[in-house]
Amino acid sequence: MASLAAYIVRRLLLLVFVIVGVTVLIFAITMMFPPEIRAYMYIGNAEQARPGVIEQAIITHGLNDPFYIQYGRWMSQVFQGNLGWSYSSGESVVSAISGRWVFTLEIVMFAAPIIVFVGIYLGVQSAIHRNGLVDHVCRVASIVGWSLPSFWLGLLLISVFSGYLRWVSIGPLSNAYIDFIAEGIKSHTWVAYTGIHLFDGLLNGHPDITLDAVKHVIMPVMVIVAIDVALLIRVMRSSMLEALNKAYIITAKAKGLSKNVVYYKHARRNALIPVATLSGMLVAGLLGGLVITETVFAFGGLGSWAARAALSRDIPAVLGYAILSAVVFVIANLIVDILYAYIDPRIRLD
Amino acid sequence: MSLATVVEVKDLKVNFYTYAGVVEALDGVNVSLREGEILGLVGETGSGKSVTSLSVMMLVPAPGRIEGGAIYVKNDSGQNDVLLMDDASLRSMRGKDISMIFQEPRAYLNPVYTVENQISEVMLVHREQEFLKNALDALEKKRRGSTVEAKNYRRMLKNPRSLGARFIQKFSSKKTLKNEVRKEVAKVLKSVEIPDPERVCRMYPHELSGGMAQRVLIAMALACNPKVLIADEPTTNLDVTVQAQILNLVRQLKKDFKSSILYITHDLGVVAQLCDRVAVMYAGNVVETADVFEIFGSPYHPYTRALLESIPNPEKGFKSIPGIVPGLINPISGCRFRDRCSYAMEICQKVKPQFLEVKKGHFAACYLYGGSQ
Amino acid sequence: MNVRSSFEELKVSMGPRVKEWKFMFLRIRKNPLALAGLVIILFFAAVGMLAPVLAPPPPGSLGVFKIPKDMEINVLTPNPTPPTLRHIFGTTDQQYDLYYACIWGTLTAFRTGLTVVGISLIIGLLVGTLAAYYGGMLDEVLMRFTDIIIAFPGLILAMALVIAFPGKIPINLSMLFVVIFTLVSFVLLALRPSKKLLLVVQALLILSLLSILYYPLSLDLTLSRLDKVLISITLVGWPGYTRVIRGEVLRVKNEDYVEASRASGSTDFGTILKHIWPNTVYPILIVATLDIGSIVLSAAALSFLGIGAEPDFADWGQIIQRSRAWMSRPEQLIGNMHTFLIPGMFITSFVMGWNLLGDALRDVLDPTLRRR
Repeated sequence: MASLAAYIVRRLLLLVFVIVGVTVLIFAITMMFPPEIRAYMYIGNAEQARPGVIEQAIITHGLNDPFYIQYGRWMSQVFQGNLGWSYSSGESVVSAISGRWVFTLEIVMFAAPIIVFVGIYLGVQSAIHRNGLVDHVCRVASIVGWSLPSFWLGLLLISVFSGYLRWVSIGPLSNAYIDFIAEGIKSHTWVAYTGIHLFDGLLNGHPDITLDAVKHVIMPVMVIVAIDVALLIRVMRSSMLEALNKAYIITAKAKGLSKNVVYYKHARRNALIPVATLSGMLVAGLLGGLVITETVFAFGGLGSWAARAALSRDIPAVLGYAILSAVVFVIANLIVDILYAYIDPRIRLD
Repeated sequence: MSLATVVEVKDLKVNFYTYAGVVEALDGVNVSLREGEILGLVGETGSGKSVTSLSVMMLVPAPGRIEGGAIYVKNDSGQNDVLLMDDASLRSMRGKDISMIFQEPRAYLNPVYTVENQISEVMLVHREQEFLKNALDALEKKRRGSTVEAKNYRRMLKNPRSLGARFIQKFSSKKTLKNEVRKEVAKVLKSVEIPDPERVCRMYPHELSGGMAQRVLIAMALACNPKVLIADEPTTNLDVTVQAQILNLVRQLKKDFKSSILYITHDLGVVAQLCDRVAVMYAGNVVETADVFEIFGSPYHPYTRALLESIPNPEKGFKSIPGIVPGLINPISGCRFRDRCSYAMEICQKVKPQFLEVKKGHFAACYLYGGSQ
Repeated sequence: MNVRSSFEELKVSMGPRVKEWKFMFLRIRKNPLALAGLVIILFFAAVGMLAPVLAPPPPGSLGVFKIPKDMEINVLTPNPTPPTLRHIFGTTDQQYDLYYACIWGTLTAFRTGLTVVGISLIIGLLVGTLAAYYGGMLDEVLMRFTDIIIAFPGLILAMALVIAFPGKIPINLSMLFVVIFTLVSFVLLALRPSKKLLLVVQALLILSLLSILYYPLSLDLTLSRLDKVLISITLVGWPGYTRVIRGEVLRVKNEDYVEASRASGSTDFGTILKHIWPNTVYPILIVATLDIGSIVLSAAALSFLGIGAEPDFADWGQIIQRSRAWMSRPEQLIGNMHTFLIPGMFITSFVMGWNLLGDALRDVLDPTLRRR
């Protein structure tokens, strides 16, 4: 019997290989830049970012040495926790990331579950009631949703809800509360337990702040969900239709099982399997889409930071974000793969 | 329907509505399965054998639709027309009164669930009361008759549809119940001669060989002691040696449980070995039904005769039936075998012959034996 | 058996295939969604082709894709003006004409979508088929390589590539030719074609080697910003196609008719051409059609971020980028809604056309759902 554990070990080895490959690719891209810009990859604090120091840095770090030597040097530095200096945000890459990831998390932690559960549910229902009302509505909505540019949808929502109706401002929190929290931190009346305003609000006894955070996160989440759920619904639907056509469904019916059991126990589990490869794509779409969505909604997370960095050709920042996304993506894929090896025993032989 | 008949298919008509047109798959099929017998349903691919068997269980897949006739099934509440049954009765009948096994066993087993899961599933649907009682007995024996678990089981026994019972069903551990079921699953696996049933219980369908998988399928079909078993070419995809084992098994089942078996096949050799009576199908109709010795010894219908003559014989060489099976989309009028029949008469082109009892127990649909108005 | 006779046999075997295609077209015609998609695409194609007529570039324009600025109004106010007779869709800040941008943007969109898909398809066909057909070490190496690229969320890698590409790339043509011809000869050696073809390729290889020694050729390739976008998206996208094509070739490779073809003496290339590729074309077609929409969206996103086409280039994403100025001030944003509303509608409908077509194709060409 193939074991789940052996499968996990194999996938982990592959993961290590891919991450190494990722770093090599990233480094290869950096080599397309002149030494002056590449020097910023090695700087860890503000001191070294001054002009005169840069020339020194080029020589000390041997930026004119062969590829593999530079790569080795860079990797050892990365392991020491130095990802370079982001000159577009005036801080080290590591500090930029640690300051901003919570805002990105706020969006993702709402968007991801909604996409997954709504997508699976609507996809299954569309397949079960094929060519019914739900099916047609979902199909049209999916095609429209998948065709929308996320930034355009964002701009529209901002115009209507922020500009016309004035229900929320853009950004993670209303200005008043931002000031409130800033003062609270200074006067030690506010403790940032998690760094996420949504939770800190409750933990500090200010549910109104939590509510405000939720209000502000609705629009970015709506934009991401509207676009990504479309694909999931379509794929889930076709996968479910295929599963319903399989021979074992006839067996299930011949055993006298009720329709619910046949659909949800027998068909759906098999239908979820091919959706797995898609989940990987969805995570990628999520990470990429965050760049746009955070920029449009000025959310101050990793995405908007990366967008601004790209505009100013801030290489360490963009590449730092690229490596981070790749690692997150690969790990997410791994988790999804393990989950599916759990669901489909045949995969464990792979 | 005589007392001894367990399934009677009367004048069944089934159409398939496809993009290419309306396929008249069954055009007035008549089959009777008698109690305790093995009836062989023989015919070429496309003759309608599978559709007939699926119709008995009301499992004809879309775009097929039953358009006429009746199917009488004898169960505890007398005989009922399956075509008129409501959903609940149908579900109660499937798996309990009538079971079915299929041709490609591994495709007909759900790949993501273990053998035990799939067999226990059908047992729990139809025999839950029995297992609950057994579980309670087992608990009482261990002096645990007043634990929460026992109380749960009693509640489930008393009113299975209640909210409380359903909650318990979903969320409680039901360990003893599962144990009882597991024992029964192992027992039924043993009865189909599967070695080491406990190990097989934990296996997944893709880990089973073809023969094993077919036994599992049979075990699943027998799990609730059905009176009727429909076997749709169960050995066609198996090695000859495995086929022999399965046939032996089927024979044993008939002896031990007195089940009535509708055995579908295109292999006349299997028919000769196994069946008590034979029904021959051609292009959507049953053309002849008789005792197995009668069919082989004195076949009446020209198709049956031609079929038997086409069995390869080293002395006589190969003899095939000229022509091809007619299409079923705009079917030809009259008898569908007429273009290939050496005895075709004028009336054969116009009106389809009736299915009549030509001799005691021997039915045929051919104008050679009467039936012309 | 050489390449030419393989092609001739392909033509002969096409007869029944053509009938199959006719059946397919009938199904497509009957499907309202497919028709809708096709109509939308044809509409945009017409707009693109009639661009010089619908939105003639003003005299003295520096390039047909440069959006004209209305200098007269610009003197009065640099702020966007809503639609008037003079500017049918209005203007953006700096008085760029939205109508012109939208019309010529259509051509940019087609160019973007078709170029990227075309090149990715070609690369994918070559790499994917080689990997799947020959398997083994080659397959492993190629797949690991694509794994690494696919490990990046697409937009982010594209972002990194776009800003990394220099404007001018000096290319050593001789070296390039040597590399190309060496690879081609290896591939051909595996496929065992006619002697003539092999000789020609080897002669070219020797010529290029000689040119390196005696007469090196080089070229300075200038990349416009849009070119960088296209190249980046292609580099990010080809592994996806490779994966899909490899999957399809693997599926078909194990079919009996492939084994029959090889048993009857076809060369590898002949088998691939006659049997494998024709049976993989449907899923690939579906993926390509659906992908055009995604590509246009990605390019628009990159332009929106400011790293795409130049500021006055006629590109839908680019023109919406100008609205970023008011993103932080929603009241002003809604006042200037015309600056992004209409270009966005262009993008959405263009992508929707391709998605409708691709989705309908997927339903129509699904072999299990056909002929039911």
